[in-house]
Amino acid sequence: MGDTLITVVAIILAAILMFVFPLMTMSDRTDDVSQLAVETATTEFVDDVRTTGRLSMDKYSSFVETISATGNTYDVEMEAQILDENPGKKTTQAEPNKIGENVYYTMYTSQIMDAINPTNGQTRTLALKEGDIFSVNVRNTNTTLSQQLKNFFYSVTGNDTYTIAAEHAGIVTANGAGN
Amino acid sequence: MKYQSLAVIFIIIILPISMILTAYVQNQVKTIELQTSYDTKLTNATHDALNAFQLNAINSSTSDLANSKIRDIEASVNTFFNSMATHFNMAGYNKDILQEYVPALVYTMYDGFYIYSPFTNTLDAEDEGTSYYNGQRVYGLKPYIFYSARYNTGNVDVVITYSLDNYITVQGTIGGNPVDRSGYLLDNIGGTDISRTYRGVPITSSETLTEDVKVTNTDGTIQQFDNCTYVKINGVKYYKDPTGTWFSILNGERYNQGTSFKEQNDAALRYYNEASDFTSWVRSNLNDLRSSDAVDTVTGDRIETTADYYIFRTDSNKSIEDNDSNFNEHRRAIIRYSIEKNLSIAIANYNNYTDVTTDFQMPELLEYEWDKIINNISIISFMQGLSIGGKIYNGYTIVTNTESEEVVSTDSIYIRTSDGQYHKAADTDIGTNITGANLNTDFERKTVTNGEQTLYYYPHEELGCYSSIVSQTNVEVTNNIYEYMADKYGDNPTLVSSYFTALGRERYSMYRTHNNPEEELSKFEVASP
Repeated sequence: MGDTLITVVAIILAAILMFVFPLMTMSDRTDDVSQLAVETATTEFVDDVRTTGRLSMDKYSSFVETISATGNTYDVEMEAQILDENPGKKTTQAEPNKIGENVYYTMYTSQIMDAINPTNGQTRTLALKEGDIFSVNVRNTNTTLSQQLKNFFYSVTGNDTYTIAAEHAGIVTANGAGN
Repeated sequence: MKYQSLAVIFIIIILPISMILTAYVQNQVKTIELQTSYDTKLTNATHDALNAFQLNAINSSTSDLANSKIRDIEASVNTFFNSMATHFNMAGYNKDILQEYVPALVYTMYDGFYIYSPFTNTLDAEDEGTSYYNGQRVYGLKPYIFYSARYNTGNVDVVITYSLDNYITVQGTIGGNPVDRSGYLLDNIGGTDISRTYRGVPITSSETLTEDVKVTNTDGTIQQFDNCTYVKINGVKYYKDPTGTWFSILNGERYNQGTSFKEQNDAALRYYNEASDFTSWVRSNLNDLRSSDAVDTVTGDRIETTADYYIFRTDSNKSIEDNDSNFNEHRRAIIRYSIEKNLSIAIANYNNYTDVTTDFQMPELLEYEWDKIINNISIISFMQGLSIGGKIYNGYTIVTNTESEEVVSTDSIYIRTSDGQYHKAADTDIGTNITGANLNTDFERKTVTNGEQTLYYYPHEELGCYSSIVSQTNVEVTNNIYEYMADKYGDNPTLVSSYFTALGRERYSMYRTHNNPEEELSKFEVASP
């Protein structure tokens, strides 16, 4: 009787150790690799925009395609801070001994998408200028296999639990509009 | 064997593999993170350096002169390393250590470029001192290198120096006679010497220019002149105060001029007149020059090896100033060749100067990066050899400057309108209420100081238009701004005429090393009674 119980426990333990444990480590590695891919893609995307000053639907789609290739779904948040020197200029004109402060106004994902979505079959680009700031924040929205397994053994669920995340930001160094 | 033993053996095999794999992948992630953070730091530092250069150049009345320019560039180099040190401080690198990893900084200018990298100082015995001695290795700016090529076809033996726009300098002998000429190459100029048209658009032959200015008087007070009449000659602005005295500004201080200048400025007309003369001179003397004739001024190697075409000949389909003209193709090839060659030598030589055990090599720049370099003043920075975990860091950054007095490019002319705004010339919804056109740096903040107080002012009070300057939603992107503007002449004649006039005027009033200052001044002086 005692022997049978121990055998059953041993089989269960062995099953966990021999199947679930490798599965967990391997799925963890998959997430790591996805993380690597997403981080690289995000950096490349942001650097491309900030060094050329131009964001087009083409660039955005190919970025989303690259990160989707990891098999997860992502939430991509973009933010463009547009430098406005006019308020600073007004301050200086009123009080010549002060350097007026520059102001940034911000375009968020939906506004940026509005600006690059093709209209009437015409592709459009968002041109940024030298001094603007562009940033991208990426998080996975699905539950990856490793998250599912972890949740099975020990609960780490919450509303915004994500394992794959990347962000990159920087100052735009070129004038996108050219002439 | 029992299940337990099987499980234990399995763990013994799997656990180390899994641990090593984890460590390896995480290491890779770290490396990538580090690499991207270094890229960002390098870009930021380069951007800071460029900003410092721009700020110094705009606020200095002598920034065009070579030694003043060198001072501005050295200040900018300092900013670069300070900024790098600030960014890298957390990683334990200070300025001196970082300098070891920067093989070269390149400042591309209007008709040539500077390379900042270490070199061996060569001094005669009598010039040696305690701070500088013969054979010493110093970091500094190497001599200015021009974008030039030599053409030797027997009858013609000249060196042509190119620039970021269609201005060239020809020096050498043609048919045995010495020549030394420079000027702009332009097609499509019509009209006569007193009334010019460009692409059918009439050029304003005389205009009065005004701007606000603040200046320190000799007694130390700061005086402001609103809408002060000025002329810009060879890069220096001369203002006329309400009493009729002309003065210039040197380091913020007023310098009265003994002579008077013409209030009616005809610089634009002169630009088109001289460009017309120069272009026909080039066509009559250098018409047979082919791109394959261009050789390196030092080694004599052929520069363009694949293509062969006439550089200056008239082409019925294209104008010489068009982006895709033969001349511009060739100009870009020469600029690229001269930067690539000198830079790769400088970086390769760096191996002799550093203790860092990396093979320093020039990375291959991408096509669109060359495009940026060839069209603007820019800084190219390199950083190589830092260990970032799995590999060795090897990065570079190019940052370009569109607002500088160094070059008047086609997009550096801003249009003022009567509603108190300034616009880009290619703004699609610009109105017809044009009041003038000026160089973009005239809309930047300037500083004047008398030791006690510092005041700031803007030569032009207009604010940036929100659709073309602040955000650039309404700017037409065109490959050929000349053609685009000429096409707009029917809709908005004032805009097009002011644009072409301002472009000519600003290009004509730029400082050039090749100008004869007295000759330039005499063109605008009023003959004394």
